[in-house]
Amino acid sequence: MRRRTLLSFALSWFFLASPLASEEEKKLQAVFIGRFASYVEWPDGRRERFVITLLDDNPFGNLLGELYHDKRINGKPVELRHARRLEEVGETDILFITVANFQARRAAIEYAQKNGILTISEIKGFAENGGIIQIDFVEQRVRIKINYDAAMKSGLKIGAPLLSIATVLRGEKP
Amino acid sequence: MKRLFSIISILIAGLEAGFAGEKDLREANEYYRRSLEDLLLVETPAKAMIGSRGGDRDALSAEVPIDVITAAQLQSTGQSELMRALAVLVPGFNFPRPSITDGTDHAPPFTLRGLNPDQVLVLVNGKRLHQSSLLHNNGTIGRGSSSVDLNAIPLRAIERIEVLRDGAAAQYGSDAIAGIINIILKGYGHANHASLSYGRTHKGDGVLRQADVFYSRALPGDGFFNFTVELRDRGPTNRAGPDILDGGRINTHFGDADTQDLLLAVHAELPRSDATFYLHGVYDRRRSSAGAFFRRANDDRNISAIYPDGFLPSIEPKILDYSMTIGSKGVLENGTHWDLSYTQGHNDYHFYVSNSLNTSLGLATPTSFDSGATRYTQRILNLDLSQRLGRHTFAGGYEFREERYRIVAGEPASYVLGPAHDGAYGAQGFPGFTPDNAVMAKRQAHALYGDIKYGLTERLMIDAAVRAEHFSDFGSTANGKLALRLRAHEDLLLRASASTGFRAPSLSQSHFSYTGTYRNSANDPPLYWGNFAVDHPVARALGATDLKPEKSRHLTLGLVYQPTSTLSASADWFLTDIADRILPTGYIASWNLSTLSPQAVAILDAHRIDGAVYFTNAVNTRTQGLDLRLDSTHEFGQGARLKLTGAYHFSKTRITGVNAAPGVLGVAMTELVLDAFTRTMIEESQPRSAFKLWSKYSTPAWDLVLNLNRFGSFASVKGDETVRFRAKWTLDAEYSYRLSKDVTLSLGGVNLFNAMPDEWGQTSDTLVGSGKVIRYSQYAPFGYNGAFYYLRLGLTF
Repeated sequence: MRRRTLLSFALSWFFLASPLASEEEKKLQAVFIGRFASYVEWPDGRRERFVITLLDDNPFGNLLGELYHDKRINGKPVELRHARRLEEVGETDILFITVANFQARRAAIEYAQKNGILTISEIKGFAENGGIIQIDFVEQRVRIKINYDAAMKSGLKIGAPLLSIATVLRGEKP
Repeated sequence: MKRLFSIISILIAGLEAGFAGEKDLREANEYYRRSLEDLLLVETPAKAMIGSRGGDRDALSAEVPIDVITAAQLQSTGQSELMRALAVLVPGFNFPRPSITDGTDHAPPFTLRGLNPDQVLVLVNGKRLHQSSLLHNNGTIGRGSSSVDLNAIPLRAIERIEVLRDGAAAQYGSDAIAGIINIILKGYGHANHASLSYGRTHKGDGVLRQADVFYSRALPGDGFFNFTVELRDRGPTNRAGPDILDGGRINTHFGDADTQDLLLAVHAELPRSDATFYLHGVYDRRRSSAGAFFRRANDDRNISAIYPDGFLPSIEPKILDYSMTIGSKGVLENGTHWDLSYTQGHNDYHFYVSNSLNTSLGLATPTSFDSGATRYTQRILNLDLSQRLGRHTFAGGYEFREERYRIVAGEPASYVLGPAHDGAYGAQGFPGFTPDNAVMAKRQAHALYGDIKYGLTERLMIDAAVRAEHFSDFGSTANGKLALRLRAHEDLLLRASASTGFRAPSLSQSHFSYTGTYRNSANDPPLYWGNFAVDHPVARALGATDLKPEKSRHLTLGLVYQPTSTLSASADWFLTDIADRILPTGYIASWNLSTLSPQAVAILDAHRIDGAVYFTNAVNTRTQGLDLRLDSTHEFGQGARLKLTGAYHFSKTRITGVNAAPGVLGVAMTELVLDAFTRTMIEESQPRSAFKLWSKYSTPAWDLVLNLNRFGSFASVKGDETVRFRAKWTLDAEYSYRLSKDVTLSLGGVNLFNAMPDEWGQTSDTLVGSGKVIRYSQYAPFGYNGAFYYLRLGLTF
């Protein structure tokens, strides 16, 4: 009996999940999502809560929820959602896109543009293909690429401090 | 009691989960408070793709030990060649500077963890890089092997280098025994750069002139076309002493070869919806020159009418080396990642000899020769598939590989035995390959492999890999690997792996022939001697058989402690057993092997052979050791930062078994293969320990890099005597000052305090020993040039 109890003790330590250490890049991405928002002006204050939606995978584990549960963005408490499919997105302020398929990604971008949503992704070519903010890592440093035209098309205004640290695409040219 | 344990276990698990999240959260909140500008300065941990088919991941989180060397580290060494740079950055990476070793002077080998040069797999962007066609056939480290010529890759084209310190043949196939070096070329988002470098040794020789340009052009969809060109002119160094038998003049060249390289690299990606087309390649055209042994005026091999003061034959190979990969990769709708690629690599090592003669041709001899060439070509077709399902990754693939090896005969004057001399045949310095040596060999291999990375829990990851491969020459092999990664605590990662591996005998080992001729008198018919391919009738008659692959077993245990994102420490113990290691035999001749059987003597006589050498699966070895590593970064504010990397490596190789020698020879394998020289070379000629401390203090205006190295002791044999050489410390330093935002001037010194290896001491050898022509061992792990100083001007545009 004692052996079984010890085994149960060991297994519970072993199998009860504790999140893996977040990769540093994910921590930075999680932080940037909120920081970007503070430099973006949405057309109206539609909702009482500021909504961040992850489309497809959730690469952040619990981190995003824990980071923003006590923070306010643009004066609003933050609500985090996770949508597996575009149809599940609904109303949101930010859409963080991890969709690997090109056509599905393009559909998500179009949906976001029509609904005044700030799109963010780390996928290469995201900004060039109509996404608003692309987060890259080059030589172990963050780089930000912003499609200004796409932001305007979505009815979003991006503040100068954010534009000043990014590579800005205007007229589809940096 | 039972209930108590259950409660405790749940509490601990809860605390673990809470604590784990708390640490990440604390660091994320700290980032959240920083300005946008400061966030852009955060340096994320190095990524590595090697050892996993699931894409890049933090190197420190890998289930196997991986060191990542960044481009900044490579450039800060002040070295112009990749192997020299890695020798001062990677503990366990050994790069001695052989001299007067024929072809090896011009494309010297490197080793990892005290093993052989051909027991390291080299990849470029994850694709196998070919070996050189050159077989190191002299008494250098790596004798009897062919190696990858890393110096054929321009430093400026490299983004990072991943060094996997574990066997991985079950994932990558042949050669991945000591480890894998994966060279990642600069990809997306790198700035254009040009630089000019000038340097020389403290003696004023070894003058380096180098110009390089990295140019990147953006393509649609964040594609890119990157092109690097590097022109490198490295003058010779000479540490030969005066020859008292030649009037005290310095008549020998003992030092670095005089080399001129044109290096190119290309890397491009063009995304198109869900697929990305890519290509990458490296190219090196090298002209090199180094001396053979000096022939004094009164030497029997000299013709004084041509060289009244004697002559120093100059071996001047022309080397062409290139590799190119084209492919396409993408993701299917179901999330399956695919990668289809074709790689072709080629090495052409063409020997030319000048300032020489063929004594046996008398005054009719030419003084320069085409001594023939060795060529190697590799073609690989590869399909990789992988899919991630949650925290699991399933991967597999197919690979077809074809290799071709060729020996091209030299011009007749380079190898013939003419009438004017009975022994001094061919080009002095490097007699040419004969038509009998010429060969065209090839083989094909088909491989199927699978790799599962399965997250049993969030804490425990299992990686299981198998690879089955069929080679057209020696048959089939199957290997497996099991690796475990346990995150025992948020700060602590435990890792272990066990695997089997192999190294296919190289085509050069199976098919290399290099023979010479002499006669006892003008009236006698010629006798032959030299290296014979294992399928040559002479070798076969003397017991040679087709070579079998070397087989290996690996065990690695380690841990990583990472209390913060800026401090990490790791320790990894490893054990590598290798069976059937391939070695050249000793010289099979009755005068050399006292117990050589009468039958073998009769075979030699019947073929008019003085003596023969061939390759054979000879010995088993065990290598075990330890790697320790500490990385730390400290921010001082206002852009000032200190980075420290300390690393220690220890490994020890010993011979654990010897195969039976062919019965026809009547000698034991120990006598046939393991003379004192060879035994020492395997067990003691490479440093068992190495310590590196690399530090960089950087500010917005200037950087200071200090690199402290301790190269461990080693031993070598001269005559019957084993000579031991003590460990030595060196210090490299580089100061870089930013003249403007885009222009940087760097001043540096390699081996700043001019440390020199121990000399040989007193020996009975006429040439080698303290106070003689050759004072230093060519096995010295940091060479024997002494201090080297340089200046570099860099422009970012």
